[in-house]
Amino acid sequence: MTELIATYAGAAVIALGALAVFFGLVLAIADRYFQVQMDPRQAQIEEILPRANCGSCGYGGCAAYAEALAQGRAAGNQCSPGGPAVVKKIAAILGIEVARFEPKVAVVRCQGSRDRAADRFRYVGERDCRAAAATQYGQKGCQFGCLGLGTCVRACPFDAMVADEASGLPRVLEERCTACGTCAAVCPKNIIEVLPKDRYVHVLCRSLDPGRVVRGLCQVGCIACKACEKACPVEGGAIHVRANLAAVDMATCISCGKCVRVCPVGCIGDFRKGRKEAAMRETVAAGAPAGDAADPAA
Amino acid sequence: MEVGYLELAIGSILISNFVLAKFLGLCPFFGVTRRISDSIGMGLAVTFVMTLASAITALVYRHVLLPTTDQHTNLLGLVGLPVPEGGYVLVLKTTSYILVIAGLVQFVEMVLRKNVPALYRAMGIYLPLITTNCAVFGVALLNTEAWRDPSKGLPVHLAAFNGFCGGVGFLLAMLLMSGIRERLAEERVPKALRGLPIAFLSAGLMALAFLGFSKLFGIAV
Amino acid sequence: MARPRDGREGTTVGLWQDFADKPIKNNTPFVVVLGLCPTLAVSTSVKNGVSMAAAATAVLVCSNVLISLIRRFIPNQIRIACYIVVIAGFVTMVEIVMKALAPDAINRALGIFIPLIVVNCIILGRAEAFASSHGPLSSLLDGLGIGLGYLLSMVLISGIREVVAAGMLWGYRLTPVVVAGRTIVPEYQPIAVLGMAPGAFILLGLLFGLFAWMSDRRREAVRRTGVAAAPQTAKDFPKPAKAAAQGGGAPGAGPAPAAPGA
Repeated sequence: MTELIATYAGAAVIALGALAVFFGLVLAIADRYFQVQMDPRQAQIEEILPRANCGSCGYGGCAAYAEALAQGRAAGNQCSPGGPAVVKKIAAILGIEVARFEPKVAVVRCQGSRDRAADRFRYVGERDCRAAAATQYGQKGCQFGCLGLGTCVRACPFDAMVADEASGLPRVLEERCTACGTCAAVCPKNIIEVLPKDRYVHVLCRSLDPGRVVRGLCQVGCIACKACEKACPVEGGAIHVRANLAAVDMATCISCGKCVRVCPVGCIGDFRKGRKEAAMRETVAAGAPAGDAADPAA
Repeated sequence: MEVGYLELAIGSILISNFVLAKFLGLCPFFGVTRRISDSIGMGLAVTFVMTLASAITALVYRHVLLPTTDQHTNLLGLVGLPVPEGGYVLVLKTTSYILVIAGLVQFVEMVLRKNVPALYRAMGIYLPLITTNCAVFGVALLNTEAWRDPSKGLPVHLAAFNGFCGGVGFLLAMLLMSGIRERLAEERVPKALRGLPIAFLSAGLMALAFLGFSKLFGIAV
Repeated sequence: MARPRDGREGTTVGLWQDFADKPIKNNTPFVVVLGLCPTLAVSTSVKNGVSMAAAATAVLVCSNVLISLIRRFIPNQIRIACYIVVIAGFVTMVEIVMKALAPDAINRALGIFIPLIVVNCIILGRAEAFASSHGPLSSLLDGLGIGLGYLLSMVLISGIREVVAAGMLWGYRLTPVVVAGRTIVPEYQPIAVLGMAPGAFILLGLLFGLFAWMSDRRREAVRRTGVAAAPQTAKDFPKPAKAAAQGGGAPGAGPAPAAPGA
């Protein structure tokens, strides 16, 4: 009985082993025949990229960005979701110096909440901002304003946007935002823009209507009174009113906040307090002394 | 009735569709069908693997697992190894089939990576996942044992054809499902049903429709 | 060639956690959408469903333990192939045992889905996610936990299907209920088509929808405030800044990390 089992068991093992060896050989030969030359650094880079395939680097997905990096066609600091950590690793793999990564964040430049900006009509179509915008510019009185149907919230691949029920506006959770730009791409009114995190002052209105029109449509819309222009201490002005809308010049603005205080309607937003608090929480949680060169709190 | 090409084709594509009637290949059926382009690629790859896997596993079944009969010889017996009366079917079938399929998928991966890199990158992680696709392994099992004469299974050419038809049925089901899901994405679906639940309900209705094919042309599969 | 210890070793929070977290939090197929094929195919009656869950659990536990024992000796590049071979071995054993010991009706009902346990994503998934980085005892408990969750799901699905489509439970007729000559519950005319493929898909769709609705309600309560009332998971905490920060800075931060609060 036992010899029976032993012989058959042995034969089974040999049979399976032979099968495995046969296929292994076939695969080994095929591997030699179907060799694909790939830069080993490309595989290394692909490993450390976040694999979000968001496209904010400007390439068709993480694999394409890794390929471009290995071939020397791409700059090393373009991966937004990866952040400074990935930039450092890319620099290490490629053995090059990479410019410092500028953290960015999405900013919703409209404050026309339900109680401040009235609708022209009741919209009962697709709950999608793009569809609503196709319907006579959307239901909001101000044709430049946020329609509040939450397309950007649903589009965010990192769950970094919430729909504020009370106001009907989207809110960016800045700690989670990776500045991939998906929300900015889907917004039909181009209200969301990805802006540097160390610039704290932004005009939260996109309306190009003249001041008297804006006054009738929205309580917090820019009326182009130029009070901000006059208050700006920077030589040459860091905020200008063009086409009935104030806009901050990122290059020269020093984020002093004077324009925020003088604006009569309150359409300029100052993000300093929220971001400094977030940075403080981060450094406290890490237990490290506050003050990191890449940190906006510095 | 004599099993021929027509019976296999209608049986595997319509009457016992691998996805909608046999419950095989459900993970990619619900995972990959968000876009029609994805499902076409996946369906074609799976069809290709199913055809080849059916052929090779049928060969392995007849010449390695089954004991020697007057129609075919057992290669192990030829080499001199002992073969029990029932053959090695019970002990080696699962492992050898999965070896065949894993090797085959690896091979297809290599070929695609070299010759059609765009498709290779588009399929991404789904290509190695074909190894664990129930449909591929299932068709190999169905061809060889669950058939009418379990001691013989389907002959190799019919097994390969059955694999091909199973793949075509899989592709058909995926195409229909992705067409429905692309339309569903624009509809107002109740929040709790969005995504997977409504896909399952759609699949249920599709299965109901395919039930109408049973006993088509008197074919009983 | 052993895989180097690169920090992939998982930490065991506690042996009880290894088991207790799994049946609900990692429930297959409702939370972790894996292993749909056998779930739909064999849940026609509770007996079949329980047999399938038992077979799958047996394979899962055995393969988890063995893979956990040999995890240091498996080269990284071929680890998936090794896992599959181990699982195939145990599936063959379970196949043979069931052919010998299980009643014929069950074997016929389960059919090809017993050998198909090899490609069941649950088992391969747990091997890759847990057994490859935890000790044998933890892996055993993990397998038991996942198996228990699978058993619960199967009982739920096959229970509903058997009652609705055959009017039976565990092979016993449920209706009619006749007490003292009076028919309290009349004969139930079973809906056979729901026992076939369409019913399986529709039932599972409704169950998924039900669980989605239940978890949505829980998440709404959290989201309404805009910020989680209390940290839910690790990812709600901001990532700590690199400890190798340039020296200096305010000394007031202190060594102990404080919880990021409101």
